[in-house]
Amino acid sequence: MIEFDFGAVLGALHQAGVEFILVGGLSAAIQGAPVQTFDVDVVHRRTAENVAHLMPVLQLLDAYYRLQPERRLRPAESGLLSSGHQNLMTKFGPLDLLGAIGNGLGYEELLPNSTEMLIAEGVRIRVLNLETLIALKEQLGGEKDLAMLPLLRRTLAEKRSGIQ
Amino acid sequence: MSPIGREYSEDGIDVTLIRWMLSLTPAERLRVLQNQVNRVLAIRELNDRV
Repeated sequence: MIEFDFGAVLGALHQAGVEFILVGGLSAAIQGAPVQTFDVDVVHRRTAENVAHLMPVLQLLDAYYRLQPERRLRPAESGLLSSGHQNLMTKFGPLDLLGAIGNGLGYEELLPNSTEMLIAEGVRIRVLNLETLIALKEQLGGEKDLAMLPLLRRTLAEKRSGIQ
Repeated sequence: MSPIGREYSEDGIDVTLIRWMLSLTPAERLRVLQNQVNRVLAIRELNDRV
């Protein structure tokens, strides 16, 4: 069985100098929302330089596409430069590399709506803020997104009220 | 409602869980989540064998 280690995945990306923003359920959890998630969702910067930093990390993490796992298809640079989603399995659990989310929002667009957070000694990563996460889920409007909204809104309200 | 206050918001959210999570550091929140995931997966695997 794979031993999930979100910290190891994020730490490896950070250590390699990959520019990325953590989004999705894990970003909500790190900001205090009591949600459960089984994958790491990140929006990476789609430049040749950043993808060059990313490729060796994916090798290190033994990343392959979760769809048809028996084929062990490895992600290619062309996919990582696109706005598409690369849903991968790694030796530390699932990792989704998202070129863009919502209405085509990539790293550059999301950057002003992200904040730096310390997730381990010396590991500071960018995390999409709760306000934007909520707005994106409202926009997407899928059942899964809508179901999560009350919890995210309440977490934001609690954070704002300063009760911690 | 408990004698010491309201645990649930009007939309049914358990605010005590949110407050507990907010009392942790981001690194601690990550560890909590990770431990939960690994425990759930271990239980699933255990039951797959039965």
